[in-house]
Amino acid sequence: ATSGTPRARPLFLCQPFVKASLLRGSMKTIVVLPKYVDKGEWLALNVFEFFEYLKMFHGVIQEFCTVKSCPSMSAGPKFDYKWLDSHKRPTTLPAPNYIAFVFNWIQDKTNDENIFPTKTKPITTAMLNTPSAGALTSSPAGTPGAGQQQPGDWIGKEGGFPPEFYERCRGIYKQMFRVFAHIYHTHFDKIVHLSLEAHWNSFFAHFVAFGREFDLLDKKDTESLKELIEAFDAQTASLAS
Amino acid sequence: QNQHLGGSDYVVFDRNTENFSPITKERAAATKLKVELLYNQNVQHAVERNQRRVELEQRLNAETRMSEERKNRSRQQLGAQESNFLRLRRTRLTPNDFLTVKVIGKGAFGEVRLVQKKDTGKIYAMKTLLKTEMLRRDQLAHVKAERDVLAEADSPWVVNLHCSFQDSIYLYLIMEFLPGGDLMTMLIRYEIFPEDVTKFYMAECVLAIEAVHKLGFIHRDIKPDNILIDKEGHVKLSDFGLSTGFHKTHDQTYYNQLMEGKNASKPQQTRNSVMVDAIHLTMSDRNQMNTLRKNRRLMAYSTVGTPDYIAPEIFEQKGYGQECDWWSLGTIMFECLVGWPPFCGEDNHETYRKIMHWRETLFFPEEIQLSRNAEDLIRSLITSADQRLGRNGADEIKNHPFFAGVDWNTLRDIEAPFKPQLQSITDTSYFPTDELENVPDAPAVAAMMAQQQANNAGLPEPTAGDSGLPFIGYTYKRFDALTKAPGM
Ligand SMILES: Nc1ncnc2c1ncn2[C@@H]1O[C@H](COP(=O)(O)OP(=O)(O)OP(=O)(O)O)[C@@H](O)[C@H]1O
Repeated sequence: ATSGTPRARPLFLCQPFVKASLLRGSMKTIVVLPKYVDKGEWLALNVFEFFEYLKMFHGVIQEFCTVKSCPSMSAGPKFDYKWLDSHKRPTTLPAPNYIAFVFNWIQDKTNDENIFPTKTKPITTAMLNTPSAGALTSSPAGTPGAGQQQPGDWIGKEGGFPPEFYERCRGIYKQMFRVFAHIYHTHFDKIVHLSLEAHWNSFFAHFVAFGREFDLLDKKDTESLKELIEAFDAQTASLAS
Repeated sequence: QNQHLGGSDYVVFDRNTENFSPITKERAAATKLKVELLYNQNVQHAVERNQRRVELEQRLNAETRMSEERKNRSRQQLGAQESNFLRLRRTRLTPNDFLTVKVIGKGAFGEVRLVQKKDTGKIYAMKTLLKTEMLRRDQLAHVKAERDVLAEADSPWVVNLHCSFQDSIYLYLIMEFLPGGDLMTMLIRYEIFPEDVTKFYMAECVLAIEAVHKLGFIHRDIKPDNILIDKEGHVKLSDFGLSTGFHKTHDQTYYNQLMEGKNASKPQQTRNSVMVDAIHLTMSDRNQMNTLRKNRRLMAYSTVGTPDYIAPEIFEQKGYGQECDWWSLGTIMFECLVGWPPFCGEDNHETYRKIMHWRETLFFPEEIQLSRNAEDLIRSLITSADQRLGRNGADEIKNHPFFAGVDWNTLRDIEAPFKPQLQSITDTSYFPTDELENVPDAPAVAAMMAQQQANNAGLPEPTAGDSGLPFIGYTYKRFDALTKAPGM
């Protein structure tokens, strides 16, 4: 359905699609940690929502992402993501299987009350680090075990998130990025056929902006969509100037 | 524009979804809507959060004598509330998070229960609505309207909606619980009200209806069962043109068929054996009237609603405006003072006929003494739409001499004539709970329950799946759901 000679550039980097965007204005509005709000809750909610909506977008291209069409979890010619099997050996999996594994794995994490607590044990003022309560909360007596390895604070401590919560978020983020990358490189034409490119681009731009704000992505892990991210950045910059 | 058209990497792309499966197309449409909703809400949340913070800062700034430490505590407290709200948004509520205390109401699409949230112990009213039935009957716009009104109203005159969620079968609305029951129950108990009591309830209803109108809505189905009583005895409106609302039964074709003697709904009526139409009315017999009311309540549980309070113009296809709610108010006022609704008949058909011929059928019984002002107000409400008091705004009604002496600004703060006597926050003595146990479920609900039992499926899984498309945007959570004080 596309015109002319085979493209050197992937479709998502081409005009006009690279410019398609549902959102205008600064991502900061919806990305920065709201004042006085617990960072753990903010991360948890956003990671949870990115996952929910990524699953939804994936549902849209699902019928085209088959073992046959996508024998590996590719993201363009240069990237092929491997799944670590139970012995930590990198294995090639067809993209649909890879994604299914990733989604299950993330689902397990976000549903795990020990990592993403939801049971309303409402945060009370006393639990927060107010000047007066500070002395109490930093006392090791109340929290045996947890206090030993990390005497200080960790993200989400007040909200009942575990010390490893932030690292879990980063792990989830990394895997979600791969799903973005596969869909961009392999199924973006379907997104365009369905006129979803503005929604999809903005969703990804939001994902990246949030990842930056909280340092959830390593640069090396974002190589497969580097050019797109740069294109988005350039657009933001030209809008701002 | 043309500039980027000239770019070398410009691609012409023919969009074509002919070969895409219907499921994919439906998912794409749903995704589009949901993503738009997500970002609208995200911005909205950011704005509201900011407002709350600025309001707090302004308050703290004004407190010149408060210590900095206490101010910090206030800020942290706000932070804690905001954090809890974020957690709530991440929390998927399911019916399993609530314990049913009692069924307190039934309708064609489901029921209303008094529930307690397991973790917080807070008390709510939970209304369940059967999705399939609502789709079939084209009720969706109404549900959305009801949700939106309830959610955004923030009005003391409208039942507060805390949150809503859905599973594959039902929509759930978690509302504040109003322990005083409804005006219908009260009328059953007291039969009639003295004029000053009537004046109080009518005045509150005027303000409540005005509030709904100001939100841009027409209620269209104001009746004693939708006028709820809070714990102080004041009035709140519920049920925005929903289940037994207008579409279900009061539309033109239904009545046309009735008029033509086709008896379109006869099977529905007879299926509900409790409401056989055997009652013979002699208008002045109070006992019989109460039997009628009780029967009418049974009728409210069935799929056939009562047209008693509906304005004639709604039955015509000519269109109607907010003034139709003032007609309803007139009929309710009549009922409060006289003891029965002005156009009650042996069946809906007769009631409908009486409403359409209101000029001949509106009749004030001799043995009941009404003040001139009361009768005049009723007559200026139960009249043609272009003559009706209130057509130019609620002030017309407020200025009627029947309401002389009412302080419209403080009405909700004064002592109500009747204040519920409650033993506990889960007291349901103002609800016909015994009666409800014997009321069969509406056919659609019953069928669903039977099927569920057959599947031995227990509670359905919460899904945002494909079937969710028309219900997008339904899942609603309110900031102060967590921050409000429990029950009473
Ligand atoms: N928030 C509430 N608090 C207490 N009781 C309520 C509440 N909402 C509803 N009820 C009770 O449940 C009854 C039925 O509620 P409602 O009218 O909203 O549902 P329905 O019967 O499905 O709708 P319809 O009246 O259109 O048939 C009301 O008459 C009232 O007695």
